[in-house]
Amino acid sequence: MGLSFENITNNIHDWLYNTFNPTIALLIEFTIIGVLVIGLFSVLGLVLILMERKVSAWMQLRLGPNRVGPKGMFQTVADTVKLIVKEGMTPTGADKLLFNLAPFIVMIVAMVILAPLMFAKGFQIWDINIGVFFFIAISSVSVIGILMAGWASNNKYSLLGAMRSGAQIVSYELSAGLSVISIVVLAGSLRVSDIIASQQDGWWIFKGHLPVWIAFVIFIIAVTAETNRAPFDLAEAESELTAGFHTEYSGMKFALFFLAEYVNIFVVCAIGATLFLGGWMPLHFGTGTKFNEVMDYIPSSIWFFGKTFFLIFVIMWFRWTFPRMRIDQLLNLEWKYLLPISMINLLLVTLIAIMKWYF
Amino acid sequence: MNASAIIFYVLSAFVLGTGILSVTTRKIFRSAIWLLFSLIGISGLYFWLEVEFIAAVQIVLYVGGIVVLIIFSIFLTQQSGKEMPKAPLTRTIASALAVVFGFVFTYLLINQNNFKAGDGKFDMSVARIGNQMLSTGENGYALPFEAVSILLLAAMVGCIVIAMKSKPEEK
Amino acid sequence: MSFISKYIKDVFGAMKSLLTGMKLTGYYATHHKKEKITQQYPDNKETLHLPERFRGEVVMIHDENNEHACTGCTACELACPNATIKIITKYDVMPDGKKKKALDTFVYHLQLCTFCNLCIEACPTAAIKMDQTFEHSVTDRSKLTKILNKPGSKIREGVE
Repeated sequence: MGLSFENITNNIHDWLYNTFNPTIALLIEFTIIGVLVIGLFSVLGLVLILMERKVSAWMQLRLGPNRVGPKGMFQTVADTVKLIVKEGMTPTGADKLLFNLAPFIVMIVAMVILAPLMFAKGFQIWDINIGVFFFIAISSVSVIGILMAGWASNNKYSLLGAMRSGAQIVSYELSAGLSVISIVVLAGSLRVSDIIASQQDGWWIFKGHLPVWIAFVIFIIAVTAETNRAPFDLAEAESELTAGFHTEYSGMKFALFFLAEYVNIFVVCAIGATLFLGGWMPLHFGTGTKFNEVMDYIPSSIWFFGKTFFLIFVIMWFRWTFPRMRIDQLLNLEWKYLLPISMINLLLVTLIAIMKWYF
Repeated sequence: MNASAIIFYVLSAFVLGTGILSVTTRKIFRSAIWLLFSLIGISGLYFWLEVEFIAAVQIVLYVGGIVVLIIFSIFLTQQSGKEMPKAPLTRTIASALAVVFGFVFTYLLINQNNFKAGDGKFDMSVARIGNQMLSTGENGYALPFEAVSILLLAAMVGCIVIAMKSKPEEK
Repeated sequence: MSFISKYIKDVFGAMKSLLTGMKLTGYYATHHKKEKITQQYPDNKETLHLPERFRGEVVMIHDENNEHACTGCTACELACPNATIKIITKYDVMPDGKKKKALDTFVYHLQLCTFCNLCIEACPTAAIKMDQTFEHSVTDRSKLTKILNKPGSKIREGVE
């Protein structure tokens, strides 16, 4: 067997349980996973922020960061150093405990969501049997961190931004959830590994005809809104609310919010890639064809990250193309368009699943 | 004491500690946040019991739904940032007595009925829950499920009726 | 039924307009090497390309005989919204003994100028124009007050 993530993790697991007693081995595994997740977060933060700045520059016919390091590659490293060195201020009127707790809540939620994600074949932190439902459940906690930050800052801009963001996340969770359910109906399981295995002979976006496309588009729109990104970024609309819920934050606490935003983008795009684009599953058509064998030579982790970064690019593309919406337009879009359409679409998907019209 | 027991005691201490904080703090927003942590701790207990579906439902309903609603209503109240006045002594004594009474009552109930610890092996897969929820056979929950659905539908229709703008009268 | 057809039309119209926007930005993102408009200023001082209508400062046009076209009519001074221009006139004695109003000093306060181009539009003889120089920083404020007509220059023959 070659060097794959599956073998490495299995070998480490076996070795730990053979060497130590189960409690110690479990603790060691927790530590390893914690370190890996934190490492992934810092790398993601650096890469995604640089990617955002480059993509935005290209779309606006600019050059983007190009001074620090070759082609500006170390720009985000320099920014991070600056943020670490900066003083973390706490306003006098703030509720100090909650003010300092909020960025960590947002960050911890982003970390916990990673648990059921499958990064490569057999490479997963926790193959929990409610998989996709876990994503929906935990992501609804992140709104609490934002509300806490907005409240504790004792600032009208923060409070308004937090309320907007809360209303937005609570509304858009519905249509995101419904489009996730449409894939659950087709795959017949909530477990992430089962959903990926059901795409062995083709990704759902190809197998499921038009209704899955509609679900995919609704999912992308809804998660863009849930991560508070443009064109739905009125929670931090610079022109009206300075910076929304993180107006009063500076230094490392601000950096945590900033990092959590990008990690959330990664997570929702990874979920989208898992549900609609087959996760780590290579591009397959049918079973046992020559084409499938060629595709299998590309490692599964590359497939997963390729799809995820493609979706991240699409969401960045939205941000640098569309103007920001008003709050009434935002709520109209959800309650009058996305929700009814996704409900009818769910019925269509159920029909397809019952009649077995997918390939 | 193995790791499982340690985790149980840590989670229980967390739930009880945040629960006590939530009723003793004098800032109303903090009270809501402590309640939130207490509810998250309970969902942690469900995860510990390996009933993941119930745990996730606990988070979605209580944390994502009810606590967010509570926080929103706190945002809309006046002077919600101020510290509340200290509770009068009579009220403190009354609530302490209520707590003691509740504790004794529960303790006696558990003590007299002699509950046995289960062997911890029950199948709680989502597929089984779904089938049970919609089965019309023995131990099926189809009727309550439909009754609750009708209740929710009525609530939704009511919301829409209340939120609907009345058309301006034609002249 | 018209409500439903309008609803569907709305959805498709929205999709179409969003895709139109994304097509343009997508084109820019993939062709950014060709289309980019950023000037890396201090590095490319020699090859710097400024747009045609860029306005740097007001200058007076002098030809090779050190002659300009300013009659001292003060139209530019009147047109200026924030008193950037001050024109001091003198009276030339013509060969036939008549006196004629002429420009003595054209004072231009660069620190007050908003580069609005109104003086250039007001000038009846096209004596002044906007130059493209923009490196205006000096160490003292008084250096920003400039005299635009060169020493010894005089009005060109035939300009009234």
